[in-house]
Amino acid sequence: MQHPAFEEVTIHHHHADDESFHKKVRKTTILLSVITVIELAIGLSIYTIHKGEDPNELLVLMFKGMVCILTLAKAYYIVSVFMHLGDEIRNMIMTIVVPLMLFIWFIAAFIWDGNSYKNLRNTYDKHFKETTMPVKHGQKEEAKPAAPASGKE
Amino acid sequence: MSEAINIHSGAAGHAVHHDDHGHGHPEQSFISKYIFSMDHKTIGKQFLITGIVWAIIGGLFSVLFRLQLGFPDQSFPILETFFGHWAKGGQIQPEFYYGLVTIHGTVLVFFVLTAGLSGTFANLLIPLQIGARDMASPFLNMLSYWFFFIASIIMLSSIFVHTGPASGGWTMYPPLSALRQAGDGQKIGTDLWLIAMALFIVSSLLGGLNYISTILNMRTKGMSMTRLPLPVWAMFFTAVLGVLSFPVLLSGAILLIFDRNLGTSFYLSDIVINGEILPNEGGSAILYQHLFWFLGHPEVYIILLPAMGMVSEILSVNARKPIFGYMAMLGSMFSIAVLAFLVWAHHMFVTGLNPFLGSVFVLLTLLIAVPSAIKVFNWLTTLWRGNIRFTPAALFAIGFVSLFISGGLTGIFLGNSTIDIHLHDTMFVVAHFHIVMGVASFFGMFAGVYHWFPKMFGRYLNNTLGYLHFWVTMVGAYLIFWPMHYQGLAGMPRRYLDKRGWVSFNQFADLDKMITVVSIIVFAVQLMFVFNFFYSIFKGRKVTSQNPWGANTLEWTTKIKPGHGNWDGEIPEVHRWPYDYAKDGREFIPQTEPVGANESKH
Amino acid sequence: MATTATVHQTKWWSGGKSPFNLEYGKLMMWYFLMSDAFTFGAFLISYGSIRFSQNFWPDPNVVFNAFPGAGHANLPLAFVSVMTFILIISSVTMVLAVHAGHKGDKAGVIKWLGWTIVGGLAFLSCQAWEWHHLITGEHAVLVDGKIDIIGQTMRVNPWGALANHEAVAAALQNTSHETLVNLAHQGNHALAHEQLSAMTDKQLISSINLEELHVRAKGPVAFGGYFFGITGFHGFHVLSGVVINIIMLTMTQKNVFQNRGHYLMIEKAGLYWHFVDLVWVFVFLCFYLI
Repeated sequence: MQHPAFEEVTIHHHHADDESFHKKVRKTTILLSVITVIELAIGLSIYTIHKGEDPNELLVLMFKGMVCILTLAKAYYIVSVFMHLGDEIRNMIMTIVVPLMLFIWFIAAFIWDGNSYKNLRNTYDKHFKETTMPVKHGQKEEAKPAAPASGKE
Repeated sequence: MSEAINIHSGAAGHAVHHDDHGHGHPEQSFISKYIFSMDHKTIGKQFLITGIVWAIIGGLFSVLFRLQLGFPDQSFPILETFFGHWAKGGQIQPEFYYGLVTIHGTVLVFFVLTAGLSGTFANLLIPLQIGARDMASPFLNMLSYWFFFIASIIMLSSIFVHTGPASGGWTMYPPLSALRQAGDGQKIGTDLWLIAMALFIVSSLLGGLNYISTILNMRTKGMSMTRLPLPVWAMFFTAVLGVLSFPVLLSGAILLIFDRNLGTSFYLSDIVINGEILPNEGGSAILYQHLFWFLGHPEVYIILLPAMGMVSEILSVNARKPIFGYMAMLGSMFSIAVLAFLVWAHHMFVTGLNPFLGSVFVLLTLLIAVPSAIKVFNWLTTLWRGNIRFTPAALFAIGFVSLFISGGLTGIFLGNSTIDIHLHDTMFVVAHFHIVMGVASFFGMFAGVYHWFPKMFGRYLNNTLGYLHFWVTMVGAYLIFWPMHYQGLAGMPRRYLDKRGWVSFNQFADLDKMITVVSIIVFAVQLMFVFNFFYSIFKGRKVTSQNPWGANTLEWTTKIKPGHGNWDGEIPEVHRWPYDYAKDGREFIPQTEPVGANESKH
Repeated sequence: MATTATVHQTKWWSGGKSPFNLEYGKLMMWYFLMSDAFTFGAFLISYGSIRFSQNFWPDPNVVFNAFPGAGHANLPLAFVSVMTFILIISSVTMVLAVHAGHKGDKAGVIKWLGWTIVGGLAFLSCQAWEWHHLITGEHAVLVDGKIDIIGQTMRVNPWGALANHEAVAAALQNTSHETLVNLAHQGNHALAHEQLSAMTDKQLISSINLEELHVRAKGPVAFGGYFFGITGFHGFHVLSGVVINIIMLTMTQKNVFQNRGHYLMIEKAGLYWHFVDLVWVFVFLCFYLI
């Protein structure tokens, strides 16, 4: 199908024939479903770990990291196959992918500062700490953060 | 949609579709020609004129609060005549003062220097300079203006509501802005402010998407990216900044609307107001500042970049010399655009931001000095030993460079968190950003208006008034803002309406009077410019030659007053970069001229 | 291949053509989606920032464990996985609609677009049920030394840390009759509401099994705001996607695209719809999985 209305388009896309197209779509659908199932399995594992007596925080963190990576994989397949970005020429792919790099610093700085806000409040706002810090079973009380330097205010 | 598509296939492919369009409907009604116009040139003029109206309002507001700052003891009965209880006894009341400051900031930053500046010149220049018949989507372009118009109406209406306009500062920080009970300005005025801003964001997105797609897709044959005139590059980066950062402000504003109206706690925590303990818990006011400045910092480049681009063009044309370091200009604009996204938290050093994170932001912020300096040196070397024609446009462009240097240097002070802790929220900050972002961008805008007025209306602006406008504004800007540095270094806070309580600031009382008087004069001169503008549209000296400035770019290959579609015949093809001035013994060589066999390389 | 050779030989940036080999409409749609990604990104990142600023955050498996018609069965993540699959499948049907458009197959476009709309509506219905369930949910929460029954709204969050038995036992003494009846009813469905109402507070308290009664402290308030705010904003996108698809469907039926010679509008609507799916992938991650 040509688009005579768009002369800015130099090379008209050759659309895949039905068979290979359906194969590709089927493959991607199965892939997305499998990844989602794995994600759910990990989610439930986190649940079971949390229910246990002494949750292994490191393991939970690892699982969460895995889910994030799997989600990125899903996003990749949706964008590249369903949205056909993978079929575009390289210029186009770059113009979409490169600006998304801004998210790295966007996410890092926001999370970093959110975390810092928590630490600051735990240090300087005793009420906040007492009312919101969950009591963990069988865990030593964490080392108290250094009290604010007493001095002339 | 399909009609638009048909027009635009021509733009890219050089088919002469224009005839179908231009002559197909020869009699456009007044409404479709001047009001709901889809012609990029008309839309540009609409943005400009709306911007001028806003600039008068915003400027007038600054004169009003300068009256209070300069003459806190004096009563001006005329104010009471006009503003009633807002100026009881002829003195500006606190709520009024904060409303004035807020609307002054919002209006000038967004409505004048974003919509009025890049809305005007992106619309006017992009299709003309890249060789396109119109924007990629003229319809969305028209919508962009009308969303801006509706936003304007809503913002304007907020001035007339009983409890007054939003008064939380142009940054609209919560918790103040999130709590109705905090004051009159936090009532309906703030809701209107938020709605107007949301519509403004929609407008700026529609515009920005159009500018980007047009610049990328609609360039005429031979107009490779490195042959684009610098204003187009500047508009391109501006649009990219807007498209990627305005949505973040939208998110921040939506969360603020929720906090105000639905009882959520995004920004609110641990608040006692008027003796009442609020149930909100767990939110973070710093979060709003992060979201705001994620837009807010790119915003200052959204304002500044178009001015930089136009100044580059105007300096080169009027120095009759090629722009110095074209690729360096591109590179520095690119790095400014990238860095603009990475430095937002330098506005937040005193908020409780993590100090180490702050130091990362200091580093990234100071990096901006590098591309900025490159640009300054390039402008200066463009002027160096040039054959300068001191037209009003050229004067304003040179003034821009001066202001950008003075204002940019104080940015280095403020970018250092250690110094910023002393200077934060003082008059020093006011001086810095007014010079570097406010006045400098205005100078870029004035330069653009004087330079492209002949293209817009087929007439010239009056030169004598233009020179008067330049010199008074230039001297006035420095007289107004330079002393504020001293006030700020001495610790004088901004935003305060009455500083008589501090003995230490009494020494500045006369200085403040002087600033106020000068700002009134400067404001009057701007009104003179507005007169010049409207008078010259109808009565100005007529342009008689197609290329009055002897410039190389494509807009001067069109008729003196081009119709919709810009070129009557085929769109010209481009064979060279736009800055072949004083080359091989010729004063200028337009972009459309093929490269000769014996031509020297630039 | 011939095409590959042309791709490499073409001077993409020289002007007179699109450097991306795309018509401007699709380009604008892509960039619009990019800016929308920043809108959603800002929401989700704000959520992350707030979540990192809290000492405690509810476990999604505890919050999202209901399934329509399954009563009080504990089925963590079951319902949301259904919602996720609905959206994935509707994305697949959209791909097929776009493909049918490429071939100019009007019947195919109508068929697959129709299924996509059904998928979108199904997703919205699921979301409506979930919101309703959360808002009207009855959870025992320890508030100021007594027990209250509250649901998940934007102002209050019932998913704090589990309270210990002594605190709960003490709190029961201060709890209102109404709430006690409710709590007793949750533990023992055999007795009717009226019968329980007739009992004294003491009888009610003794009938409540502390082991089965999960009483929590109040959780972080921001949870509700972000959950409803972001899923609501996403739901709004789904709704507008459905509306766009319905418009596309009517236009297809009226042969608008057939006459135009191409179904590019379907492609643009498709991009938007996939984007909605893409956002859900991240919403799913941020609210339900981690």
